[in-house]
Amino acid sequence: MREFFKSTRFKILLAFIAFLVGIMIYAVTKGGYSLSGASFINTVTKPFRFVSNKISMELETVLDRLNNSDSYYNENQELKKQISELNEQIADYNDLKAELEEFKKLADIKEEHPDSVFSQPAEVLGYIANDPFKSFTIDKGSDAGIKPYSPVTTSEGIVGIIIEVSKHTATVRTILSPDLSVAAVCSSTNADFGIVEGTVITAENNTTKLTHLDMNHKIKKDDLIITSGSSGLFPKDYSIGTVKRLDVETNGLTAFAEIEPCADLSRLRSVFVITDFAGKKETENETANTP
Amino acid sequence: MKLRTPREKRILYIKTTFRWILYLIIVLLSFTVMTSGSWKKPILLVPVALCIAINNDIMISAYSGAFCGFLIDIACDRLFGYNAVLLTIFCAAVSLVYELYLRKKFFNYLWISALTAFLQCWLDYKFYYEMWDYENAERIFHNISLKVWLYTVISSVIIYIIFSIINKFLMPKEHLTIEEVIKAN
Repeated sequence: MREFFKSTRFKILLAFIAFLVGIMIYAVTKGGYSLSGASFINTVTKPFRFVSNKISMELETVLDRLNNSDSYYNENQELKKQISELNEQIADYNDLKAELEEFKKLADIKEEHPDSVFSQPAEVLGYIANDPFKSFTIDKGSDAGIKPYSPVTTSEGIVGIIIEVSKHTATVRTILSPDLSVAAVCSSTNADFGIVEGTVITAENNTTKLTHLDMNHKIKKDDLIITSGSSGLFPKDYSIGTVKRLDVETNGLTAFAEIEPCADLSRLRSVFVITDFAGKKETENETANTP
Repeated sequence: MKLRTPREKRILYIKTTFRWILYLIIVLLSFTVMTSGSWKKPILLVPVALCIAINNDIMISAYSGAFCGFLIDIACDRLFGYNAVLLTIFCAAVSLVYELYLRKKFFNYLWISALTAFLQCWLDYKFYYEMWDYENAERIFHNISLKVWLYTVISSVIIYIIFSIINKFLMPKEHLTIEEVIKAN
């Protein structure tokens, strides 16, 4: 053993480890952009990951059907009931629609500039291995105009934010993560503001948390929570999720709501990246590191 | 003392090339499995890197450990180079320990693999969750890190079997027996 520590190969090994540490430190300074080595590996392995993820997702769906057939049956019955209720609402909706057309003409005048610019639809390449907060990788990167800290959405609602971009792929941090804070407001009251921020416990149930609510809030169960747009990171009026539970924080000073995201974050197939929107805050990173 | 005929040298060269191609395929397959689906998965590249390390020279072990580590960094979205440094050190140490003290037995591989996988999972939890003071972060260790470690240990048995088969047919023998020398001449 002593001979080994005095040998040349030990010195070479130390130099190699120092080189790797150098790479690691350099990676820290990249601020959201992948190293060219990682970018190359991502590009080369992209088709394999795409195919294997498709197979895996299909397999998960089949297993899910087998395991949860009872709950799906109950859910199906519940949905049938809801459909009949919705059919009744459609009749009311048609009346409202005619009224809305008039309002729309007025609104069109105000909508001179569309406030959001979307990327092309991005396929989900795969979820980050063993991530408790369901981060995932998409098949569009900087070549599609995607930059770090761009919001990511589906037709159902906000999903998360881009945290790392390489040329052909990007990594998305979801709203389940404690590292992502979204300024939000209740759509029905339009007055109860809070911060949507994940926790370890809520992430286990695929839910997130609306914190810093005033104790006298008017939020009710099943209310829709939307983005307030005040942070400049997310555009205004995008759905986040519905309220599942309301409670008071352990400090007794503020309230919180458990939010079920509108989009099913554990089974995403494709998403849109919002590359620009009105009220967007230009981050230091973006201005400094735009390739 | 190694005694080989030119023909055996050629065969050795072909076998070694073929063996490394198979190693590379296993590494890429493991990476692909790690990036598929949304369920909890073993860190397959840890036992794969160890299987390469126990049968190879220390420098080769370090380089293959670094390669596997970089792939883990991508699959698990960790700081590029973090797992590469860890696996380089683990693989070099394992290769050295096998060279000096241990015999190539399944039990030795199993406990080394379990220990390495645990260290990898534990350090991952420490640096990526506990250090940042997430509320109830210990649940991640119990519900994810320990399960991933267990899956990794279980999968390391299968990986060991695969590598044993490859090595049985394609790994060069260190020394030729007297019978083999006589037969070759």
